[in-house]
Amino acid sequence: MTFQRFLLRRALMVIPLMIGVVFITFMLVRIGGLDPVGRLAGPTATQAEFDSIRNNLGLDQPLWKQFSIYLGNVVRGDLGESWLSNRSVLTDIKERAVISLELLFWGVGIGALVGVPVGLRAAFRPNGRFDQFTRVLSLFGFSIPTYWLALVMIFVFFYLLGWSPPAIGRMSMLVSPPDMITGSYVIDGLLTARWDAAWSAASQLILPVICLAIVSAAPIIKQTRAIAIEVLSSDTVRYAHACGLPERNVRKLVLRNSAVPILTYIGTEVTGLVGTMSLIEYVFAWGGLGQYGLNAIISGDFTAVQGYVLVLAVFSVLVFIVIDFVVYLIEPRSELS
Amino acid sequence: MNFIKKTAAASLALVLATTGMAQAETMILASPQVPEGFDGDALKAHTQNVVTQVYENLIGYGKMEVDGHTVLDPNDLRGHLAESWTTSEDGKTWVFKLKEGVMSPFGNELSAEDVAWGWNKSFNQKRTGNFIARVSNVASVEALSKYEVQFNLSAPSAIFLSALTLYVPGIYDTTEVKKHITDADPWALEWMQSNTAGFGAYHLESLRPDDQAVFVANPNYFGDKPFYDKVIYKEIPSEASRVTLLKAGQIQWIDRPSIQKVVDMQADDSVKVERATSRSVAAARMNPSCDVFSDVRVRQAFNYGVDKDALNTAVFAGQADIAKSIVSPIIAGSNQDYFSYDYDPEKAKALLAEAGYPDGIKEPVELLYSDAFWHQEPVAIQVAGMLKKIGLNVVPTRITSSEMRARAAPAVQDMCFFTWEDGPIVLDAVYAMYLMTHSKGVSNRAKYENNDLDVLIDAGRQELDTDKRMSLMNEAQKLWGADAPWILVSYPATFEAMAPNVSGWVYYPDEHERWRELRGD
Amino acid sequence: MSDATQTELAHANPLPVRARVWNRFVGIFRLSPTGAIGLFIILFFALLAIFSAWIMPHDPIAAYTDKVLHPPSAEFWFGTDGNGMDVFSRVIYGAKFGFGIAIPAVILSLVIGIPVGLIAGYRGGLLDEVLMRFVDGLRVFPSIILALAVVAATGQSLLNVILVLGVLDSPVFARVVRAEVLGLRSSNFVESAVAAGNPTWRILFVHLLPNAIQGAMAQTAVRAAWAVRISATLAFLGVGIQAPTPEWGAMIRQGAEYMVSGQWWVALYPGLALILLVFGLNLFGDGLQDLMDPRRRSAK
Repeated sequence: MTFQRFLLRRALMVIPLMIGVVFITFMLVRIGGLDPVGRLAGPTATQAEFDSIRNNLGLDQPLWKQFSIYLGNVVRGDLGESWLSNRSVLTDIKERAVISLELLFWGVGIGALVGVPVGLRAAFRPNGRFDQFTRVLSLFGFSIPTYWLALVMIFVFFYLLGWSPPAIGRMSMLVSPPDMITGSYVIDGLLTARWDAAWSAASQLILPVICLAIVSAAPIIKQTRAIAIEVLSSDTVRYAHACGLPERNVRKLVLRNSAVPILTYIGTEVTGLVGTMSLIEYVFAWGGLGQYGLNAIISGDFTAVQGYVLVLAVFSVLVFIVIDFVVYLIEPRSELS
Repeated sequence: MNFIKKTAAASLALVLATTGMAQAETMILASPQVPEGFDGDALKAHTQNVVTQVYENLIGYGKMEVDGHTVLDPNDLRGHLAESWTTSEDGKTWVFKLKEGVMSPFGNELSAEDVAWGWNKSFNQKRTGNFIARVSNVASVEALSKYEVQFNLSAPSAIFLSALTLYVPGIYDTTEVKKHITDADPWALEWMQSNTAGFGAYHLESLRPDDQAVFVANPNYFGDKPFYDKVIYKEIPSEASRVTLLKAGQIQWIDRPSIQKVVDMQADDSVKVERATSRSVAAARMNPSCDVFSDVRVRQAFNYGVDKDALNTAVFAGQADIAKSIVSPIIAGSNQDYFSYDYDPEKAKALLAEAGYPDGIKEPVELLYSDAFWHQEPVAIQVAGMLKKIGLNVVPTRITSSEMRARAAPAVQDMCFFTWEDGPIVLDAVYAMYLMTHSKGVSNRAKYENNDLDVLIDAGRQELDTDKRMSLMNEAQKLWGADAPWILVSYPATFEAMAPNVSGWVYYPDEHERWRELRGD
Repeated sequence: MSDATQTELAHANPLPVRARVWNRFVGIFRLSPTGAIGLFIILFFALLAIFSAWIMPHDPIAAYTDKVLHPPSAEFWFGTDGNGMDVFSRVIYGAKFGFGIAIPAVILSLVIGIPVGLIAGYRGGLLDEVLMRFVDGLRVFPSIILALAVVAATGQSLLNVILVLGVLDSPVFARVVRAEVLGLRSSNFVESAVAAGNPTWRILFVHLLPNAIQGAMAQTAVRAAWAVRISATLAFLGVGIQAPTPEWGAMIRQGAEYMVSGQWWVALYPGLALILLVFGLNLFGDGLQDLMDPRRRSAK
């Protein structure tokens, strides 16, 4: 299909999805009671603050009107003000988004780089020893609580072995952060020739990235194996075998045909991994969006929670779109739902 | 540990090499949370820790040496922002002459108008500052001239001068603050949530919630230039991480460690731990306006049902002092005889039966706790466990510290059973009783109202003769003890943990160090 | 042969549903040893939960105030925690929570998801579209965050945790059942049931349900594993279950503080128990899926 048709299809699907997403976050603070003013204003609010929030969000008006006000606000980028930080939620989120992106990129990236080849190898020799071992290992990976893994890794690699620095965020206290260009301490440190900052930031990154990589790899291994096995038993591959194509070329064929579903799967996994990453951020005091969101939920800062959940959903949708686009580039003929 | 030391050394060397030797002295302080606000009248989490650094007072205490430690001399009150003062014959009118040339970081000079404005703000907000004004009988404050300010008292007060050493009512740089006034917000309270403007040694430079607040030394400070040019108030939620950083030498100060960490650090040379007996009391408070606690026998039963020694061992590693009065023993006039509720579960059950609960209380009673003080949770858990044994279905329940503070505010006070720590920031028995047990006390928090007690305390506030005051407070403690509205737990000792090269710490009754007095050499 | 034909043939086979299911269970042991191991682990924990009162050496919420934070010893096999409570007894008692939350939550998910899936798949049309769009909308939110936010909003009690988990997991079952129903909708026996004048509800629950339910049943163990994991995560963050309840996630929460200062036992043992139970559920669930889902079987 042509590029225009592709874009049109995407847009048509995404818009109602986004409205639905905004509606869900809208309803989130109205669960168990339709007057959210207490939750949005926080326990420290004065009567004046209650009234102003009531006014701004039109809380005395019918629900659909409230929703249209909220939708309008969101579209304009007004996500409200957090009572905990006394700042606009959008500002708080903007400052932290890059921080989490960095962790997500490395963690999921390494998880995929390791997970896909392992899954493929397991698929080529199904029920062999490697396969059995991998299946059990990945099921095990499914079962480990992320936060517990993080704690144990800190205990082993920091407390016992002293190999890793203490888990107190992105940078050692002794090193001042580099000037802000991208927001990533590692990159900014390298760009501004602050080798000490880059080194410190990189060494703080190692443990959380490994943690996230382990947790990401498990489902990727399992699904890659499943996809590869299906492709292996597909007509195309069977025909290739029948034609006497050498094993190496068959493998390449399998890879080509699996690439799209694997990529798509990783895209859908990212949604869940963002949630897992929040836990990792929490344990490592990373200072990113995940920790911010968890703190907001735990402290009952519902304005921030709304903004946070919305941003996560928007991010997921963006990831889906990007994956779709990449797939379209690889395989323009494929029709994806 | 090697890794950290190597990186630390390397980084330090690199930093020194690249920035040269003459550098700003910075202290990094790790705390569970970045301050949520900077208005001394409307205390939020960690507000008190920082307003004491930014806003300074008319009067201060001198210092003295006791057992090799420097402590404040409660009898040596000297002018700080005030040059001198006079008082009228009847003790009801005080005129303070301000020091000249006291400048704020914004370059504005301290004037009597600033003092009057700050007090009027407190009167208007009707919270902590207003309480302090009331307890010291201050009726109004007016500026007489540029450097002269007059306090009008409704009656003479023995604690008025001591009250002037407190962080609130604050003295603000009104030239700066007034720029942020609006019709809806005539006291700039909104602006004060994330800004400061005082005449103290430090000033808030930048604030990043849930990351850090950076304070810089006031370049125009009237007193001695502090050693630390910059103080970074860093949020590190995990206490274990804070301790780790301190031990690794990456930070210089951690805020009020818990007892287990203290015991751990006392054995470690890379950390210095200072101790002082506290003026504050840890307790589980019962709200008599809640049905279950309206009967004094029930409250007494709850007290008999808690083993305070076991509590001390479990929660405070035996290092705290068991509390037998709401007035800490370091305050003159404290009487430890009247709260004699030793552990006696049988008596507790008997009292419960008398009060109409022969089979205990099956309805769950929530015992609220938060993370504001480290001991709240373990005390709540232990107390609940002990009370369960005598048939009381007490359920420890966590709420956020923001919510707890809000519900403890004078206008709300709707928590029935909760743990908390409070203490008088003026070491005076009348002040202590007024603060925590008077129906109008701002640290009452549990809607306790006893008219006879109020009468005694109010009489004490008017009384200037020390002996008479002490005897009145004796009566008051007896009355309060019999009424048992709190389960008194202990006086948790105050510990501060710092890097070994940090000196100059002095215990202040508000439990906060003064950064301007610390040195790092 | 294609799936549709296979299913039709199976439905033409007069063997009653119960016998087919039993055959499958027997098949598990022979064809999937890992599934059997999983089942064994689950039964082990179930026994712990049921007979905990006899197995626990100490009362799980008894505070030994003079033995706070003691390392593992003869008296306290897993040591004591920050309140002086025996970690071993608490870990055993915690098994109750694992099942006590997962079982009701999964049942709730089934109760909600299966009817929704049946109706959506059978009826189709606008109802189906709206439901599926809504479910798709939920999928863009990380499930942990969604569960966390909703529990925090509705109030922190055990019941709420179960309710929220049950509701949030029902889309999985709804989707599976709906897919099956879509496949079965046009098959012969359904058409003949319609022709015979059966009311819709009978078609749904008497005719379609027993056949469409396989996929959902295969998922139960895996969803139970998810429920156990998420409820522990909620407790770890301090939402839902309060101290001093001996729930594994809450225990890890307390232990986290001590992990960095060397008192590793407080968080390690509950974590191991959690891993083991979830692993067992996943193993069993994996074996179950292999056997009950015809497509996966052919992949072997």
